[in-house]
Amino acid sequence: MKKVIVVQRVDPGSDELKNKRQLTELKELAYAANYSVVGEVIQSRYPDKKYQLGKGKVQELALAVGSLNAEKVIFCNELSSMQLYHITDICKCAVIDKFQLILEIFALRATTRRAKLQVELARLEYEIPRARIIVSHLKKEERPGFMGLGSYEDSYEQDIKGRIARIKDELSHVQSHNDSLRSFRHAHGLSLVALAGYTNAGKSTLFNSLMDEGVDVADMLFTTLSPVARSMDVMGRKVILTDTVGFIEDLPHWLIDAFRSTLNEIFLADIILLVVDASEPLDIMHGKLLTCHDTLWEQVHGASMITVMNKTDLISHEDLNGKMEALGYLVPNPVLISAKTMKGLDELRQAIRDKLPVWKRKEISMPLSEHSMSVLSWLFKEGVVHSVKYADQILVDLEAREEVMNKIQSFSAK
Amino acid sequence: MFDIIAVDISGRHMENGEYFMVCVAVSFSVSPDHIDKTHQVNIRQFTSINAPEITDVVTMVEKTVEGLDPRATIVMEAGDMFNRPQWLAASMFSRDFKYQESLGERRAIEIAHHISVSARRLLKIKCSLSLQSDKGDIIN
Repeated sequence: MKKVIVVQRVDPGSDELKNKRQLTELKELAYAANYSVVGEVIQSRYPDKKYQLGKGKVQELALAVGSLNAEKVIFCNELSSMQLYHITDICKCAVIDKFQLILEIFALRATTRRAKLQVELARLEYEIPRARIIVSHLKKEERPGFMGLGSYEDSYEQDIKGRIARIKDELSHVQSHNDSLRSFRHAHGLSLVALAGYTNAGKSTLFNSLMDEGVDVADMLFTTLSPVARSMDVMGRKVILTDTVGFIEDLPHWLIDAFRSTLNEIFLADIILLVVDASEPLDIMHGKLLTCHDTLWEQVHGASMITVMNKTDLISHEDLNGKMEALGYLVPNPVLISAKTMKGLDELRQAIRDKLPVWKRKEISMPLSEHSMSVLSWLFKEGVVHSVKYADQILVDLEAREEVMNKIQSFSAK
Repeated sequence: MFDIIAVDISGRHMENGEYFMVCVAVSFSVSPDHIDKTHQVNIRQFTSINAPEITDVVTMVEKTVEGLDPRATIVMEAGDMFNRPQWLAASMFSRDFKYQESLGERRAIEIAHHISVSARRLLKIKCSLSLQSDKGDIIN
């Protein structure tokens, strides 16, 4: 594991608990990226244009880097390219900020071609505004061109732009394939249910519990990167359940844009299961719920939401009731579960079932023929057959979506 | 369900040498992820020759929410209160106050915003048509 030092600059008089939470989250992110945190530097001051921290503090940081043999410095605050350049110059080691760290984690976890492209797109989009400035810093004391006789060809930025265009083009093909798959699923009456929530809330564990699957789970941030979708039977109705990448506080918009096709699984779902870690302290739960509402607000339109209060096995009943009372205004349709001990999963299935689009239920009759038998088998596939009676005719108690009902009525009328 | 009053102010920029602002307060019953009921809408216009300060915003909001459910919490965007911390902003109001948080509250603010923008446009046309312009309240 590489040794790193984490650094945080906080505004004077800002919320201490929030700052502490952000630093803890940064350390967890560093751990998720296979770093070992050997030191931390915190300074309370307004940002410095050149160094983010004060110059003296950066020199202190450089000494700490030397004495602790740290290979990298990770800042909690977003760094401008100029700050990045100057801090690296003094510390003589690699310096990154929280967003670059998130990108590193994403790059580590990216296994599919699509995920790899998304990571590269995010990295390039992050780099583009910095590219020109870094080049201008590097060649400050140089004379342009070969042997200082010609002019520079500023192709670096152009190269990045070209690469971005190519990746976007490739991703749009994947996207159009996904869109057609989604509309195909909708046309076949499959509702889309997405697991959303703050990172490390237990989405993948819940996914495994509901599906009896073996998706990777770990007590770590961003374990899931590419969405995994499986078909699930919810009391007779088929749905597609998708496990997705978790949210994080201050997730920048360019990162959301780069991972749009991943996040679309949430944004285009019919039902969103907002998974919340109920075992955490109230203020942390509140902060994470706010981040989730903030991320979902821009993108979600008309989807039903169910709040899944996970990890309830780790807290007492009274504690849970207190939290529910305090956070009631942020948790739509709460269901209390423990994905690990499988407690409350039936209630969750019932809640999903209640939120699914209403299907018509009707008793239909069909002539007793070979063709009717094949229609019946089709009905078993397309709807919920509550009962079948064979008499002079076949009587079917059927619950199905409108298109199926219309089709079957025209058939039985013949 | 929670009773809230979503407040939005339009026109906090100078136009023809004055600030012509419209404050809208809409009383809602909201759930965490949607709006259940819209109860009442109050619209008031204000003019000022100086840029509004935080105390002016509080005055405008207090005047606009008059007559609406006194138990409901006023909900606003942090930007409308100059991004002051919530405890500071809340201490300036005579009623309960908070910044928007849930999806339902955000939707409520969005609706209040649409109303204030449209009302301001209509009121501007009305003011320019009438011989003696009705300026509403003057705040400073």
